[in-house]
Amino acid sequence: MKRTWLGFLMVVLSLVLMALPAKAAAAAGGDPIVIGCPLSTAYLYGWDAERAIRLAVEEINAKGGVNVGGSFRPLKVEVMDTRDLEPGVPVSEALLAVEKLILEKKADFILGGPVRSEAALAAMPLLSKHKKVSILSTGVLTPKYHALIEEQYDKYKYCFRIHGEAKWLVKEILTCLGEIKAAYGLDKLMIMVQDVAHARAAGKILGDLAAKSGWTVTGTEIYPTGTTDFSMGLIKAIKTESQVLSLWMDMPESSILLKQWYDMKVPALPFGSTLSAAEQPGFWKATEGKGEFCLANVVNAGNAPSDATEWTMKFYNAYTARWNIEPEGLGSSSSYTAVYALKEAIERAKSLDSDAVVIALEQTDMVSPYGRIRFTPKGHQVIPSLTPEEGAVGSIFQWQAEKRVVVFPKSIAKGTIQLPPWMKKK
Amino acid sequence: MDIIIYGIINSVALAIMALGFALVYGISRVPNFAHGSIYVLAGFITWSFLRTLGFPYFWSVIITMLIVGVIGALLYRFILIRVRGMAISEIIASYAVGLAILEGLRWGGFRGMSYTLPVFAEGSVIIGGVPVDFQRIIMVFAGVGIFIGLYIFTHYTRIGLALRGMAQDERAALMLGIDSDLMAVVSMILGAMLAGLAGILLLPLGNIVVEAGYNVLILAIAVCIVGGLGSWAGAVLAAFLIGFAQILTVVYLGSHYQMVVALLAIILTLILKPSGLFGMQKQLEERV
Repeated sequence: MKRTWLGFLMVVLSLVLMALPAKAAAAAGGDPIVIGCPLSTAYLYGWDAERAIRLAVEEINAKGGVNVGGSFRPLKVEVMDTRDLEPGVPVSEALLAVEKLILEKKADFILGGPVRSEAALAAMPLLSKHKKVSILSTGVLTPKYHALIEEQYDKYKYCFRIHGEAKWLVKEILTCLGEIKAAYGLDKLMIMVQDVAHARAAGKILGDLAAKSGWTVTGTEIYPTGTTDFSMGLIKAIKTESQVLSLWMDMPESSILLKQWYDMKVPALPFGSTLSAAEQPGFWKATEGKGEFCLANVVNAGNAPSDATEWTMKFYNAYTARWNIEPEGLGSSSSYTAVYALKEAIERAKSLDSDAVVIALEQTDMVSPYGRIRFTPKGHQVIPSLTPEEGAVGSIFQWQAEKRVVVFPKSIAKGTIQLPPWMKKK
Repeated sequence: MDIIIYGIINSVALAIMALGFALVYGISRVPNFAHGSIYVLAGFITWSFLRTLGFPYFWSVIITMLIVGVIGALLYRFILIRVRGMAISEIIASYAVGLAILEGLRWGGFRGMSYTLPVFAEGSVIIGGVPVDFQRIIMVFAGVGIFIGLYIFTHYTRIGLALRGMAQDERAALMLGIDSDLMAVVSMILGAMLAGLAGILLLPLGNIVVEAGYNVLILAIAVCIVGGLGSWAGAVLAAFLIGFAQILTVVYLGSHYQMVVALLAIILTLILKPSGLFGMQKQLEERV
């Protein structure tokens, strides 16, 4: 008797389970459009992008989904861990994740990553082979990415990048350094970078250009991923009388550097780019305030509070409300925007056909939380600017009294750069 | 001067990291590949008691030490005892446990850079023109204290002497009535507590991240291989050799070569003197 009841319950349960997805699909209106997200989910630039993508997808689905030639279809997110930000993990892991998303999860589009430049470059032929439109929105900063698209357009036309890249970042940093020089008379720069492609390249470019701009570059220190002691490098900074430390590292251990900097009272202003440790809202608490005065470039506006566009704080607050934390890293606002850019492109193309969506994406001209979004015609790189009305605007903030205060560019700044008390004003 | 000061600091840090691993191997001949994960776990347990439950720092540390000690004992009683004497199985089993702990922590949400322990004392001093923070100075003194404490424990207490007896000749120790398994459990408890103590001393310098577990394991293995597996004195000497080599590499070759030092030390030791500086294990075979 018991077995009969158990069998009956199993049948009922199975029927309910089978009916559920059908009902859900019917409510959202048709087959979902699958967005595959290859992200390094254990790291800031992975999880912030995932959260931003999910937020945008929820907003779009709540409004009925994407209009594909008259029929509304919901978006569905499939995330796969690429582990490409983890030290020692080979690029092949990320490629496997991208391939699985395409072949197993049947992703219609790829959004977000891979996050590490090396992995994203290696994934380009794979995306081309499967004709999958991809919009990079986090991590990858190497200028090689859009240079390759430009060189071999027919092959790599499916690849787009909606966030800033290293060359523009360097330009922004140099402009910001110029403002620091003018305000405080600082002119000695030491470069400290992580031993990864984008950071090494950016460090070199920055060093060369800074020297041309009248800065004395006192040295370049390259640290392997996972370094836990920076004392000797900081002593070098003291000995060479460096006044600004340009930090390019996305490894979590960079917070050790900033703690050491504070404990040793190094008289040089830390200026971080892709400095994930300092980007997070929890940085102040994590360093017990030792990270105050640290500058961090979060690549695009919207990743720190500002009024770049009407959409900036709307996104900022929506993210905070949804995830109970403020946008954390450089992949937040761009990943969110990538979903909307894709939605608009699909609606313009009236189809999910990759070639049609590529043409539609090339025609993108929309306002986002970080300004006007357009892509370069052949390189598919978002067009940057120092003003949000003209292009994708960057964002450099400084930790001041527990807050992330945007100090650059001037068009969206909420405060000015300050020096730590142990740095004497010239 | 900076090379000497930071060379000592780096060396003591390496010795603290490796001592637990060397101790367990020296006594029970069990290579505890879960060593790095216990180091990180101790950090997260202390953090949880301190930040989440609001315990005082001192009691958080004491409770953590007790917990990791119990974990060490359980690890031996329920897992390693079944594969004892089978070197490869011991490595696989302990590494699997370590992996489960680390990835379990990651899966459980312990990721990101917001997990930190406060330093024991704020501020820094200038020693010979070199700025050094108090936490590093405390760490050096604590390291010296640990070495002296361990020496006294292993030379002047019954359990310590029994542990040394086991380390020197297990069969002879058994004939004298020393319980081999009990001593192995004691060594695992001590090893785990040393790993935990290393975490509590070193993690306030940065933040608690899962990846540190893998780094600590690699460094502990490097120190033990160079010093000679099973030799505590060798581990301390090797820590100083590798520690100073790393600092000299940073100063004269460049920061990005410092990680190579430990791995290069392993390779060179295995080629030139596989038993290590003070390793007794294979010395006779090498002479033959």
